[in-house]
Amino acid sequence: MHTLTFAAVFLVLSSALLLYGLNYDTRLIESGVAASEHSADRLRADIAVMRAERAHLSRPDRIDPMARSLGMRPTEPRQIAGEHQSQIAGADHGAR
Amino acid sequence: MLIFADPRLARDTKIRRASRSAPVTRPDPLPEPSSRAQRAVIAAGLCMMFAGLSGQLVRLGMKADATVVAALVEPVATTVSRPDIVDRNGRLLATDVEVHSLYADPARVLDRDEAVEKLATLLPDLDTAELSSSLSDRAKRFVWVRRQLSPRTAQAVHDLGLPGFAFRKELRRAYPLGALAGHLIGGVNADNRGVSGLERYIDDSVGVDPVHTTRPTERPPVRLSIEVGAQAGLEAELADATGRFHAVAAAAIVLDAHSGEIIAASSLPRVEPARAADALDPTKRDRLQSGTYELGSIFKTVTIAMALDAGLITPATVFDVTQPLMAGRFEIKDLHGAGRPLTVTEIFLHSSNVGAGMIALVAGAAAEKSFLARAGLLTSMRTQAGPVAAPVAPERWDRAETITISYGHGIAVAPLQFAAAAAALVNGGTGIVPTYLLRKPADPAPDAPRIVSEATSAAIRTLMRANVTDPAGTGRRADVPGYEVGGKTGTADIAGPRGYHQGGVISSFLAAFPASAPRYVALVLLFEPKPTAESGGKVLAGLTAAPATARIIARLGPLLAR
Repeated sequence: MHTLTFAAVFLVLSSALLLYGLNYDTRLIESGVAASEHSADRLRADIAVMRAERAHLSRPDRIDPMARSLGMRPTEPRQIAGEHQSQIAGADHGAR
Repeated sequence: MLIFADPRLARDTKIRRASRSAPVTRPDPLPEPSSRAQRAVIAAGLCMMFAGLSGQLVRLGMKADATVVAALVEPVATTVSRPDIVDRNGRLLATDVEVHSLYADPARVLDRDEAVEKLATLLPDLDTAELSSSLSDRAKRFVWVRRQLSPRTAQAVHDLGLPGFAFRKELRRAYPLGALAGHLIGGVNADNRGVSGLERYIDDSVGVDPVHTTRPTERPPVRLSIEVGAQAGLEAELADATGRFHAVAAAAIVLDAHSGEIIAASSLPRVEPARAADALDPTKRDRLQSGTYELGSIFKTVTIAMALDAGLITPATVFDVTQPLMAGRFEIKDLHGAGRPLTVTEIFLHSSNVGAGMIALVAGAAAEKSFLARAGLLTSMRTQAGPVAAPVAPERWDRAETITISYGHGIAVAPLQFAAAAAALVNGGTGIVPTYLLRKPADPAPDAPRIVSEATSAAIRTLMRANVTDPAGTGRRADVPGYEVGGKTGTADIAGPRGYHQGGVISSFLAAFPASAPRYVALVLLFEPKPTAESGGKVLAGLTAAPATARIIARLGPLLAR
């Protein structure tokens, strides 16, 4: 009877220790996941800002005057030859 | 000192301790009287505590006192995470970015006046009286001070170190391309909810994610049919034409003649999606789909298509247009009459009002009304950017109305709606549904009702091309070498409360290119252009809208060929 009692007490204590360890590990992992998610959210937010900045810096209103100041102009129809123009121009391509 | 809850255990322990020190001859039979008294005191204390708590709960529950308030009952504003908007090539037009919003806890604000004064130095347009009033109510625990601050301003406010003020992160809609395509994109409110244009469509049909954080949505971006390069080119050329002809406003649309995808669409003056006030400015309304106009002679394309399709005329049919046409008490005559009978082709090239009226009379009022309804010019329509202004047609459709409508007066439609109808006339005869969204190849083709026959569509294309190439055509200045442009001019007097406005016209050009098998349809409108040296001192569409259209096609053509 004593053996059974000691075994039960041992099992209870072992289980308690095991559960405590698992609980501790779980909390640690949860903490790590939360930190990773937070970090990922930060990165997503940073990426969104950078994408917006890139789009803002490459906006046509800004690029157009810069390109013109370098002597460039929009492509003219006569600069396009061959199959590209024929896709749009149709039958009378080059006729006029 | 050990205290045992069980008196028997305490007694046994004493026995054992005693047995170790000396032999025991008599056990202690009863607990000490003092222990019993202690237990009674403790029990009584506990009973009193619970009775007190119960009494307090009952008192609070029954007390109907307005001064009792619960903290943290103020609704904390949530925001929504919206999908990005990109053009057909994936270029970003709208996205969510994280910003800081300033709020206050009035109960923790130490010096209200000083705080308001300091904030006003950084936020000049702050309503100090209202903020001061809000902060004086210390029962409130949450008061918005300013939503969506710029990072620099937020840092400056933070540096003030004001107690009771803190920041909350929110999502804010950013439009990196500024006013580009502003009308169709629309805008959002302070809670990041769409209120107009495509932003409203996203809320209603695509979906947004309410969030308490600033986590961006994982929804795929909304891909538009718009091409940013073409849109920028269209807006630039339209602004240039507005300046050259001193027009008060302008609008233009380029759409795919078969799929209905709108490649570029603009109405000047532009609006900034980020500035909500712009959308309320009547001078900046979207003239493409929020307004209806009498479009003038470009309507003759519809009139001739109607009669051709009904087999009532051929391009060679001759009409005697030498005499004015009477419509009730009004006399219809041509601005520059040819002085001889004209064929249908010549009526189109000379843009003869009398000729168009006579063609419409051949068909009759019922047929005209029926055809316009079939072409979708008499019913309301909507796009993803919102409802299109409903057409304004006469309730009574008699001889006079039949004549005036034949050349684009007496009926007012939104330019976008007319462009969609015109596309059906030149694409082989099938109706289209204009869309601002990119159609996926896997998407089922939308219902394509037949509007006119293939033969009628081919005849219209021939007429439109001739109008640009023929020396007698009114659209000669719309030609662009290599793009086989076909089109029709329209110079419409602007209707006002007291009749037609003297001198004020809407100059328009309807184009299809390449005319032999059109892939694109363009409609360009200049509102109230002024006579200039370039236009020969006139405001006719052939001298204003036609050259503007040529520039637009020349600018966009290379981009569309990609």
